[in-house]
Amino acid sequence: MRSHRFYTPWLLMLPALIWLALFSVWPAINTITLSFTNVHQLTGGHFIGFKNYWLLWHDPHIRDAIVNTVIFMVVCVPLLTMLPLLLALLVQRQIPGIAFFRTAFYFPVIASAVTVALIWKWLLDDRGLVNNLAQSMGFIHKTIPFLTDRWLLLLSAVALTVWKGLGYYMVLYMSALGSVRRDLHEAAAVDGAGSVRRFWSVTVPGVRGTMVLIAVLIAVNAMRVFTELYILGGRTGGVGGQDVSIVMLVQQAASGGDGRLGYASAISVFLFFLTAIPLLFLTRLNKNAQEES
Amino acid sequence: MRRTTAVSAIAVAATLLAAGCGVGSKSSSGDSGKTVATTGALSGSITFQTWSLKNDKFTPYFTKLIADFKAAHPGTDVNWIDQPGDGYTTKVTSQVATGSLPDVINLPPDIAHAVAKTGNLLDLKKNVPTLDADWVKSGLNAYNYQDIDKAASFFGFPWYLGTDVSYWNKALMAKDGLDATKPPKTFDELVAQAKIMHDASGGKDYLMSRAPWLSDIANTGTKLLTDDGTKFAFNTDAAAAMLDKYTQAYKAGYLPSNVLDNAYEGNSALFSKQQVAWTTGGGNLITSLAQENPSLAANVVPSPALDTAPLYVQGLSVSSKSKNPALALAFAEYVTNNENQTAFIKLAPGFLPGSAASANDPAYSKSDGTPQGDASVIAYKDLTTAVNFTPPIWTDAMNTVLNQEIAKAMTGKETAKQALDNTVNQANALLTQ
Repeated sequence: MRSHRFYTPWLLMLPALIWLALFSVWPAINTITLSFTNVHQLTGGHFIGFKNYWLLWHDPHIRDAIVNTVIFMVVCVPLLTMLPLLLALLVQRQIPGIAFFRTAFYFPVIASAVTVALIWKWLLDDRGLVNNLAQSMGFIHKTIPFLTDRWLLLLSAVALTVWKGLGYYMVLYMSALGSVRRDLHEAAAVDGAGSVRRFWSVTVPGVRGTMVLIAVLIAVNAMRVFTELYILGGRTGGVGGQDVSIVMLVQQAASGGDGRLGYASAISVFLFFLTAIPLLFLTRLNKNAQEES
Repeated sequence: MRRTTAVSAIAVAATLLAAGCGVGSKSSSGDSGKTVATTGALSGSITFQTWSLKNDKFTPYFTKLIADFKAAHPGTDVNWIDQPGDGYTTKVTSQVATGSLPDVINLPPDIAHAVAKTGNLLDLKKNVPTLDADWVKSGLNAYNYQDIDKAASFFGFPWYLGTDVSYWNKALMAKDGLDATKPPKTFDELVAQAKIMHDASGGKDYLMSRAPWLSDIANTGTKLLTDDGTKFAFNTDAAAAMLDKYTQAYKAGYLPSNVLDNAYEGNSALFSKQQVAWTTGGGNLITSLAQENPSLAANVVPSPALDTAPLYVQGLSVSSKSKNPALALAFAEYVTNNENQTAFIKLAPGFLPGSAASANDPAYSKSDGTPQGDASVIAYKDLTTAVNFTPPIWTDAMNTVLNQEIAKAMTGKETAKQALDNTVNQANALLTQ
């Protein structure tokens, strides 16, 4: 059997490496470099040391942005890790009409952001469907301020994210569930394990790799939350800017002809390190679980 | 172990992607103060950029305009390009950064200011002796930036101008005991009539339907900038009193509850839906309404804007980096001369020419007796006193801060004075970053 030359694997990886270098590594290095300058959209800048980080520390919105982003991640990760798994267990059964439900659950994934924005604003507005229904049925006398109260808006954004992401992660779990051995379930059942016990002892360990991957993806996406809060809270980040996320601060700093690219880059670098924390935690968790098993 | 490594690799790649949004930018030293020799014969070619004007309505006009210019100046060529409406600032920004700014370019004052700061726009004052005489002063002033050159440089020819007219829903006002022929003329009168409408309709009808902005602050007599034009100073007691009145009106329910949140559709949309009885709009709003909502159009009465009317300006600027500045300057003057502006405005009802000679044109100063005719005349008369309220040093980030702070004041999270102090402090801090 003829052996490969030493560069064969590198040749195979070359397109991906070029892509990674151009669109991930170089922008990341450039972002770090810019974060130490006062470059604007149209005017060049110069090295200003850690001034952007000092400004970030004193930014009146950074505390709200961190709190909102972390809460968003902490709520989204468990919800979007477990709910799609339960959904996948439901829709993987071969019963008549199940294809309709699979399609229905996946539909929000392909819905456009504009459509989603309109639907959710119509639902949650003071004069929207939810408030009107609740009022007409006598459940409430005063409208629920979904789009003006800080925490309700954040929870609404979580609900939107879960609604839009369920179908996507459900499909990933359906694929993973296909590789869970049926005989393990049967053996557990013979040993007297109920459905809940089999779920935790057979199903969850069987899809753990996918589960960690999904948790990582959700954590990264949640730390980068922008669209959902922008859709519901607008460009100011809710009434008074109390629902801003860290990425919204980046967008606000960098937009316009006078956009502050240096400062926006400093926020991005900060976000990078903040995102690394839950990722390291999740990978450590997975490593420990693997070693124990 | 392999799985852990794979997951870690994905994590690192995803994190890099999360942070990978840096954008490079290069400084460009400009030559805005140079003098262009315009005595020789014109030759060569230039690029002319408009903003969302290449369509069935305007393309024939520009095609003929360019053909006529080329016929008058044999041996010249004008390459007309048009940019879509969305993302124009970003497009111009990238053109400046890459050194590909068109020779003649349609820029509103705020974008022109950002470009002029880089030295990429030609100072017209140094190159057009008849500038003050041939173009409308209020329009020219919008292109004079104190923070760039206190010696009065001008970076744009006023091209087409707009202002706001107040429009009132006669039927809705009459239902609630108000007379649209005697509309409010000041902010205080507006609040008083908003209360009458609110009380008469049981809170279902509205007269007011927007949160305050810079124009409302300026209309209290407050100067937005310090005398040298380099800092903001609009946190005055008069401005705070105005914001307090808005806050009280909002709390009393005289404004729709969603004016501060993202479900707010804008006062003109609410006016079209007949949910509010007052809106502001350009001089041709009634004509537009007649097509979209004829029953409402018949009930609309125009009146001058409350206090001082705002001025909206579009202009033509010349790139200081143009390789053919003489031709570029000549073409910009040609497009914005009185004859061509007048022909252009005929295609864009509701707007007014930025040429000084249009002041003598009865087409703009005499109404045909219809509400639309009245609105056009109101708009034209207000143009002479209208003010571009947006200071050139005002940025998107500052606008976000202002909207946030006003919302905090109106929802009772801060006092009006605190909100204005915070806005001014943050805006001034942004100037130094």
